Amino acid sequence: MTSNAPPSGQTDYVTLVSCDGFEFKVQRSSAEIAEAIRRMLDPRTGFYEAIHNRCEFSDITGLVLEKVVEYLYYNEKNKDAKEVPDMEIPPEMTLEVLMAADFLNV
Amino acid sequence: MLSGRGRTKIRAPRRGGTSAEEVDFNTTWIELQQSFTAIHTKDASGLSYEQLYRHAYRIVLRKKGDVLYKNVQDFEQKHLSTVVRPHFQSVLPPPLLVHLSPSMGGSTVSERRELGKHFLAQLRTIWEDHRLSMGMIADVLMYMDRVYCADQKRASIYDTSMSQFRNCILFSSADPVDKDGINVIGVLTKVILDQIQMERNGDIIENHLIKGCVYMLEALYIDSGLEVDENKLYNAQFEEEFLEASRKFYLAEGQQMLQAPDAGSYAANTMKRIRQETDRCRSTLLESTTPKIVKVVEDSLIRDQLKDLIEAETGVRYMIDNERLDLLHMIYDLNKRVDENKTELTKAVTGRILELGADLNKGVMAVSAVSSDTTADGGKVSAAGQQTLAALKWVEEVLQLKDRFDNILGLSFEGDLKLQTAQNRSFHEFINSQLFSRSAEYISLFIDENMKKGIKGKSENEIDTVLEKAITLLRYVQDKDLFERYYKKHLCKRLLMNKSLSNDVEKQMISRMKIELGNNFTLKLEAMFRDMTISGELTTGYKEHVARLGDADPRRVELAINVLTSMTWPLESMSSNNDREDQTKKMQCNYPGAIERIKLGFEKYYSEKHSGRKLTWQANLGTADIRATFPGKDGTKERKHELNVSTYAMIILMLFNDVPARHSLSFEEIQARTNIPKNELVRNLQSLAIAPKTRILIKEPMSKDIRASDQFLFNEGFQGKFHKIKIGVVMAANRVEGEAERRDTQKRNDDSRGFCIEAALVRIMKQRKELTHAHLFTETISLLNSQFRPDLAMIKKKVESLIEREYLERIEDENTPSYRYLA
Repeated sequence: MTSNAPPSGQTDYVTLVSCDGFEFKVQRSSAEIAEAIRRMLDPRTGFYEAIHNRCEFSDITGLVLEKVVEYLYYNEKNKDAKEVPDMEIPPEMTLEVLMAADFLNV
Repeated sequence: MLSGRGRTKIRAPRRGGTSAEEVDFNTTWIELQQSFTAIHTKDASGLSYEQLYRHAYRIVLRKKGDVLYKNVQDFEQKHLSTVVRPHFQSVLPPPLLVHLSPSMGGSTVSERRELGKHFLAQLRTIWEDHRLSMGMIADVLMYMDRVYCADQKRASIYDTSMSQFRNCILFSSADPVDKDGINVIGVLTKVILDQIQMERNGDIIENHLIKGCVYMLEALYIDSGLEVDENKLYNAQFEEEFLEASRKFYLAEGQQMLQAPDAGSYAANTMKRIRQETDRCRSTLLESTTPKIVKVVEDSLIRDQLKDLIEAETGVRYMIDNERLDLLHMIYDLNKRVDENKTELTKAVTGRILELGADLNKGVMAVSAVSSDTTADGGKVSAAGQQTLAALKWVEEVLQLKDRFDNILGLSFEGDLKLQTAQNRSFHEFINSQLFSRSAEYISLFIDENMKKGIKGKSENEIDTVLEKAITLLRYVQDKDLFERYYKKHLCKRLLMNKSLSNDVEKQMISRMKIELGNNFTLKLEAMFRDMTISGELTTGYKEHVARLGDADPRRVELAINVLTSMTWPLESMSSNNDREDQTKKMQCNYPGAIERIKLGFEKYYSEKHSGRKLTWQANLGTADIRATFPGKDGTKERKHELNVSTYAMIILMLFNDVPARHSLSFEEIQARTNIPKNELVRNLQSLAIAPKTRILIKEPMSKDIRASDQFLFNEGFQGKFHKIKIGVVMAANRVEGEAERRDTQKRNDDSRGFCIEAALVRIMKQRKELTHAHLFTETISLLNSQFRPDLAMIKKKVESLIEREYLERIEDENTPSYRYLA
């Protein structure tokens, strides 16, 4: 997966990049559950991320970002459901994931 | 599980960056500041949101949120006052300020419009720019808003920057030279008002520019602490001035329009203005202003002027008279806006109805006054006829009037209930006017006329409409009992003289009255019909009876009889009673032998069927067909005629059967032999001996009047064109009553009202046992209201008489006067 997808306006998928170079192609609607990502990608502002549909996070490792993406999908999938099963998060990652969540305002 | 978890070590999160990245606050801030400047100059494409966001995030994490917040604030303040404001002031055309000064000398409208447009456009641009940039900056600083501002309960950076914009731009002087001069928002208000004024005068303006600025005013609050609607700049600064300016404008316009008061165009203009203002609120201002500005227009154009408008020469009266339904609708609409009850319009409409009604009344009264002058002598017949025509015309015209106003009500007043009742009330009022007491009689006459002639050849639907109309009018009549009296009289004549065209229609009419006025009202009318049916059966029954007797006398006289119950038939009012003593004597005339036999025969037959009933023969109501032979002489042939005459005339003529030819009888002789009441005799002799076409008798001496000394002689030389000849008697048709008749009817009506009142009093007291004076009177009135409006004096008199006759007594020791019922 190479970077720099042509800036073709709003795409259905956006790319999230971790500080150690992992890239995640995520459905836009799921990604925008995170408030910070939503604003990043808001086309009205014209920031770098919005133009390139690509968000690079220099503070988040691939491992954590994967967990975040997993949560975003999990959230999207279950948004209308009741009695949702808990999501598994390995205990040793909890703090890091928590910080990422705070940063991204999930 | 717990112990298991305890063993795994939770990895500490990586601190945001290594110490190498641990940049100091100032460097970070400078970077942010540069980015913000870029954002303000719309050059954000090179910036990474993530980077800026991370900077702000870190700063906040380092507990430097307060410094960041303050720095941003200072930065914005500086930006607004050193970049935006000077720019704005520099592009502001100085003439604008001149134009807006009180002395608006020299500037043309189009100049002002262009300048205003420019100003609005500039202001809108810097507002939009500021909003967009601040949106982006606030996005970048989201973490600060979320963590720092929420913790410290400070306004978000976006809101703060908006207040800064307000203070720095809107509240600053618009004139760079004069620091205390008019501030920008003042200029803005004036410009918008000016533009609106231009639009009111018919110019085209750029609504979207104003709308943009209005949105700005709506988004900003006058006081950052209190964000309620009243504190929006729009409401606090602009709206009030707008309403005030509009008020001034419309008051002036109203004054000007009233100079040449054409109510129609005034109303149209007002409607147009209201529509325009509503549209303007939608397109240019805010919808929330709509009710307020509409109220201003209503207040200044309608409320005070409406009275003048309605009373103007071209006002409601003119509109009604010229059927300007569209204009009336506008007036209605205007009035509805300012007055739920539509008082002024109601007043005007009812006033007009009363006027028109009074005119009608006066018209018919005038006819009757003229004719009563001529009534004195012979012209009575035609005068009464004229009056009858006038009466019918009156009814027609009232109905037309009613139709007209119904039309107006439906088409112009949206069937408004209040107006409808008001209209009904005014019809009621003029129909029952004190000055005009004949409506009951006239309406009955109208029905009579229709029953006899009007419905000929009409379809059922048309008849229905006529009946419905009659009922409509009847609804308005107060004195229902008087109407009943007249109706009975007229119906009686129709039935006895076979004038009615259709029994079905008569019955329909009665059933309608039953629905409208209740069972009591039609009881007697129905009884009359029953009597007629029974009489028909009796006649055929008697015929069969005679046939069974086998008395096949070819010269037998046929008899058709109507047996009428004396209580239900208004027989007393049937005879014309110029001298009433005739009636009180109840004279029975002498019938010729042949007739007398028949009469006795029927009486016998009747008493066999119904014992204990007494038959009184009403000769004045009957008719007879007689065959008369006029002998030929001097070369003329013998002629036979069938004469249709009244019963009295028949008796007179049969008298001459027994008189030798060319022998005369004097008036007194005829009277003595027949015993016919004098006035009846006079009238019958008039038609037999004076009316030129039916001169069966010759009178000596020949003159117009009948005198006691006159001699009468059988006219052997009578010539008639037809075989059958109808000899009418004067009383035939139903027409308007003469003065004497009217007085009589009135008196009789008052008598029967007396009974009704007494009955009502007794009924009430029997139920209540004891009642105060006031209560008794109100109950009596409400009980009788469906029949007539009782006269208070009459009730009083009846109470007195009941006390005298010991049905009631006064309760002595009672504070309020009261009565007790004595069983």
